Amino acid sequence: MAYEIRLQVMSPEVGVEKSPGRPPPGMGGPPPPGMGAPAPSSSSFTKRLDTLENKTLYLVDIGFGGGYNFMVQLQKWFTKHMPSVTTVVKRKPGNVFMDDNHELWEEAKEKGHAVVLGVAG
Amino acid sequence: MEFSAKNDPRAASLPFVYTPYPAIGMSPQVLDNYIVGNDPETGTPIIDEIIGLLTKPVPTKKSPTQSPVAAEAGLPPELLEPDTEDNLQRLFYERGWTDGLPIVLPTEERVKAMLAGTNAAPDEVVSESFQFATREMVKYTVEHVAVIAVMAGARPEYFPVILAIAASRQPALMPSTTAFESMLLVNGPIRNEIGMNCGIGAYTAVNMANSVLGRAWTLMSICHGFARPKQTLWSSQGNNHTYNNMCAGENEERSVWEPFHVSKGFKAEESVVSTFMGWSFLSSTGAASNRSFGEELNIQLAVMPPLGSAATIIMDPLVARNLKENEGFTTKQDFARWMSENIKMPAGQYWKTDYIDMLVASEAYKGVEPYASWKKLPDDALIAPYNNPDNINLIVVGGETSPLWKVADYRYGGSASVDRWRALSSDDECADGSCGLPDDVTDADND
Repeated sequence: MAYEIRLQVMSPEVGVEKSPGRPPPGMGGPPPPGMGAPAPSSSSFTKRLDTLENKTLYLVDIGFGGGYNFMVQLQKWFTKHMPSVTTVVKRKPGNVFMDDNHELWEEAKEKGHAVVLGVAG
Repeated sequence: MEFSAKNDPRAASLPFVYTPYPAIGMSPQVLDNYIVGNDPETGTPIIDEIIGLLTKPVPTKKSPTQSPVAAEAGLPPELLEPDTEDNLQRLFYERGWTDGLPIVLPTEERVKAMLAGTNAAPDEVVSESFQFATREMVKYTVEHVAVIAVMAGARPEYFPVILAIAASRQPALMPSTTAFESMLLVNGPIRNEIGMNCGIGAYTAVNMANSVLGRAWTLMSICHGFARPKQTLWSSQGNNHTYNNMCAGENEERSVWEPFHVSKGFKAEESVVSTFMGWSFLSSTGAASNRSFGEELNIQLAVMPPLGSAATIIMDPLVARNLKENEGFTTKQDFARWMSENIKMPAGQYWKTDYIDMLVASEAYKGVEPYASWKKLPDDALIAPYNNPDNINLIVVGGETSPLWKVADYRYGGSASVDRWRALSSDDECADGSCGLPDDVTDADND
């Protein structure tokens, strides 16, 4: 016996109605309380540096588990292999998923030359 | 820092470097190896990528909010090519459209029959879901949900509940590397109309409605939520509860307290589905015969420090009756308040819990109470972390063969009306009080 099967709804990649959207942390619907993702920034980024030599690099932990230790190890790598680079390890204040801390970003702009932000997952 | 410059190739969009995972819980040596090791996406040493991305122009990439698939998608075929049942079952499985179990193939005839279970138009939008792969919101209609209902094995009379689950817009599966689990609770007349089990073995795999409704939620997440391992499913161990998401009805008839949906503002005669989500679940081994129920909860909840005071206690009707008649908790709110004040754990145990440190410590540093005060306490000081009794969910399910209970860290996700999706409103159906009776005898019945 042969069956005819409705394909359309089975696989979003083959085309149910689509519209642009922003990602909540879940697969659909509103995010869990306290875990709402902010709207993505539309800001452009600063020009890349020509070199890291004698520059100050901010290593910013976003607050996700394991991120701070990763940045500490990254700092140790720079201390050993590129000692002219000054590194500053910071943990982003506030909730890992929600708060966008302007004081830290202003500090990085004023005192630093570049930022490495992480680690998620 | 140097100036910002739009349209400058040296000021391109945010570049990403991918480390191996996980970072959490790894030793310094492992993290060192990550740093000098290769990016799993590119095969390039991570430290070289970091230095390169900070010092070299980055090619401009498409904005992450663009939707390349939408732009490229053509008109999809309406139907799969006809084939044998075995081949189609295999195709569904191999394309990742099932939960691993055989499904009921959603033929047009079966989908049409399912649509008879609701008054809603087939093209009415029920929900929308974010697609991580394409970064789009995808809308789903009543007909789309009917396909899922058929696949799960639902009868048309289950369909209003499945539509309510879809309308809740809560996913059963989450893309976290942790092992999320979800729960469905059904309240109101629909439970009995479709034969849900709220009593003996309500959480045992024996009842069609309980099994199918919970399965439909997961199939929605798989098909509509586009859940795919290593794309949008990253849970290291996964969670077996997602096969039917702890779906049951509340035993309202045997409970001494108001039904759960009534405590959320619905009328008792309304039919409602409620969703819950969390990580930890503990089923009592025996009854509270040597310690009080409250003492037992104090021991069990101490192993799962709560986020936002969330807890869900599912108790047999015998437990609720004992709490009311012998311990004086007239309402479930009375008992939730007692729990809130009396369930204690050491501050050090609370703050050294990984997810508490990650998600709650920031609130303490911002001065939010009671977290700020708890943060100042010595490790051995006792705190009452279930500080908000409104977030303690008390549910009555079971068949009164033993006064057992289940404890979970589930938070309440929300409730959705089932009546909204019925084929006929409950009021119309039961206007003369004859709800649920067989149809009038006809000549055909006498043939």
